[in-house]
Amino acid sequence: MKKTIITALILLLSLLPVLAMGNSEKNSEVTEVVIWHSAQGSNSDVFDSLIEEFNNTVGKDQNIHVESIYQGKANDVLTKVNAASGTSSLPDIAMMDATAATDMNASEYLVTIDALGVDTSKILESGLSSYTSEKGLLALPFNASALLYYYNKTLYDSLGLTAPRTIADMAYVASKTGLKDSNGKLTRAGFIGIPTTFELSTFIGAQNGISFMLDNRNGHDGGATKAIFKEEGTYKTFLQEWKKVFDTGFYSTATSGTTEEFTSGRAAAFLASSSKLATIINSAEGFEVGVAAVPMVNENATGGTVISGGALFAFTDNSAVKTVLEYLISADVQALWSEGTGYVPVNTDTYNTESYKAFLKENPLYSVASDSLLSSNPNMTNVWVPSAYSIYYSFQTNILNFLNGTDVDTTVSEMESIINSAIKTYRDQNK
Amino acid sequence: MREKKTTKKYHSQNKAYLYLLPAITVAALFYWYPSLKSIVESFLTVNQSGKILGFAGLDNYRRLFSDPAFINSLKVSLTFIALFVPANTFITLLAASLTRRPSRLSFIPEYIFFAPVAVSLSAYSLLMRDIFRGQASVLNNLLGTTFSGITSAAGAMAVLVVLGIFLDFGLDYILLICAFRSIDSSVVEAARMDGAGGWRLYWLVEVPMIKDTVLVTVFLALKDAILISAPIIILTEGGPFRSTETVMFYYYTEAFRSGNRGVQNALAALVLTLAALIMTIYTTYKKIKEER
Repeated sequence: MKKTIITALILLLSLLPVLAMGNSEKNSEVTEVVIWHSAQGSNSDVFDSLIEEFNNTVGKDQNIHVESIYQGKANDVLTKVNAASGTSSLPDIAMMDATAATDMNASEYLVTIDALGVDTSKILESGLSSYTSEKGLLALPFNASALLYYYNKTLYDSLGLTAPRTIADMAYVASKTGLKDSNGKLTRAGFIGIPTTFELSTFIGAQNGISFMLDNRNGHDGGATKAIFKEEGTYKTFLQEWKKVFDTGFYSTATSGTTEEFTSGRAAAFLASSSKLATIINSAEGFEVGVAAVPMVNENATGGTVISGGALFAFTDNSAVKTVLEYLISADVQALWSEGTGYVPVNTDTYNTESYKAFLKENPLYSVASDSLLSSNPNMTNVWVPSAYSIYYSFQTNILNFLNGTDVDTTVSEMESIINSAIKTYRDQNK
Repeated sequence: MREKKTTKKYHSQNKAYLYLLPAITVAALFYWYPSLKSIVESFLTVNQSGKILGFAGLDNYRRLFSDPAFINSLKVSLTFIALFVPANTFITLLAASLTRRPSRLSFIPEYIFFAPVAVSLSAYSLLMRDIFRGQASVLNNLLGTTFSGITSAAGAMAVLVVLGIFLDFGLDYILLICAFRSIDSSVVEAARMDGAGGWRLYWLVEVPMIKDTVLVTVFLALKDAILISAPIIILTEGGPFRSTETVMFYYYTEAFRSGNRGVQNALAALVLTLAALIMTIYTTYKKIKEER
């Protein structure tokens, strides 16, 4: 009996710190703002340094303390936000991307940027439009990026090649830069990677000036009801062009570890977000990295590039959250963020600051993404589709099947039916 | 006197229930209730935030079986089971067999073989990912090979099987080595006196005596093979091209990534039924054996 009492006492005592913690938070005057972020690798350090700067300056003056927690990739953050919805562990702010938009648009816990009253007059138009739904501005663009064509500049220069302008050019360049050993095995891919939702939002979106993959402006206006790339023929056009790259025989269909293949020199080119720029430049082994705007599908694909990357979603309606958000999109902070990562500044004032101009002069690669975004049609927009994670993998499989011989019309129909059935399921379950 | 004994028995019985209470509460709260809820909700339309919208009949099941990704995941799971369970059984049994005789140096292989138990699943998965990550992997750098690793379908499946064996190895080894060592030495002695030795002694006397433990490891492996998802989330994310998307990984993406409650509940109900079926087969087998 004595033992039981002692055990119980020990258990109770061990709980005390937990209880005490709950109390101390309530009593303190500092407002705590929790941010779940998805900045990976060196980008994570840059983000933490921005937050530290806030805590030491603005935060100190206004009694706000920000805690930033890395929660995995943008889609992992969404998984966790969904799991935490309705509980006290939901953060005040979460950094997520377009895959979160459908869920967040339906979420009763989301506080829109309009409701918070954040001043967005200086934010890039395309950034705002990419996160605007019928409910208003869902999230504040923060880590904006553009898809870029990364290439091994040292290799290209040695062969007298320049970055391709269209996918057909891409095929030509790939056939020159690829290498095979005596057994016919690919030792250096001319191009590596299979496009999926993110890349296709640009490849389809840029066609005929501007196009959409789904109706209702890619789902931004009240949610999509169906895919429209089949009736508009845009996906088919893309596939037929893309096949040219595959047919060179110097194309690698790998979908994971593509960055490592490129930086180790085993692939001459690949597509990736500008947010990887700093990481890729630093890890390229023995060659100079070149970047260019995404190749056009054909001469009619004049829309440019869809703004991609992430935004900050808010779940708490208070002035501290507003202050933190306004700090993160301020011209100076956006300059620091962009210089450290390769993300495109979302604040138009940033482009006019002397320090950022000087930075671009010294690091011209960083201006490729912002130049291509600023010259794009601002109405081109990212895709809001339910089951986004699953559809991401469906696209890759679908394209691979096509490259391996499935007829193009069957391929397009299959993808259309996968997307339409995901949309139907979602709409049936979330009336 | 007699009355006193019954009350005492009653008391001790109550006490037993009291001890069981926490386990029963936990099981009821975290196992029975959610299981029942899933089964019931698999016939209803439930929205993402858990609100019931109406009766769905068999719609959720129809959706599940009309999804090519689900059919694919069934195939992947069956392939994984077919590769993993025999390989795992063979390798753990081999390791335990070779080290079954206790000696002064036994602690060396035992230490090596027990060690995997102490390393976390995610640590192993991350390690494997770096070792086998495509052409530019650690493995290829060290050996100068061109193994495609987790970037090809066959390679990814092979790496996953190896990882699965690593994860199960420690526990299976402990079970098997204990079983070998607890064989009554008089039986082995008797067999030796009768002239059995080496291979015959092992195969006809020792292995049959630990058959039950081998069966336990087989069922554990089967369970792990059916439920495997966490290593896949870290190692391959189901790729390349859904070639490692098992049923439970599919469940994870539908339930937690896509918030598709209908498919989530239908699949949960199916897997529960399957698990119950396997357990019934196992216990029936044991019962028949005990009765014999």
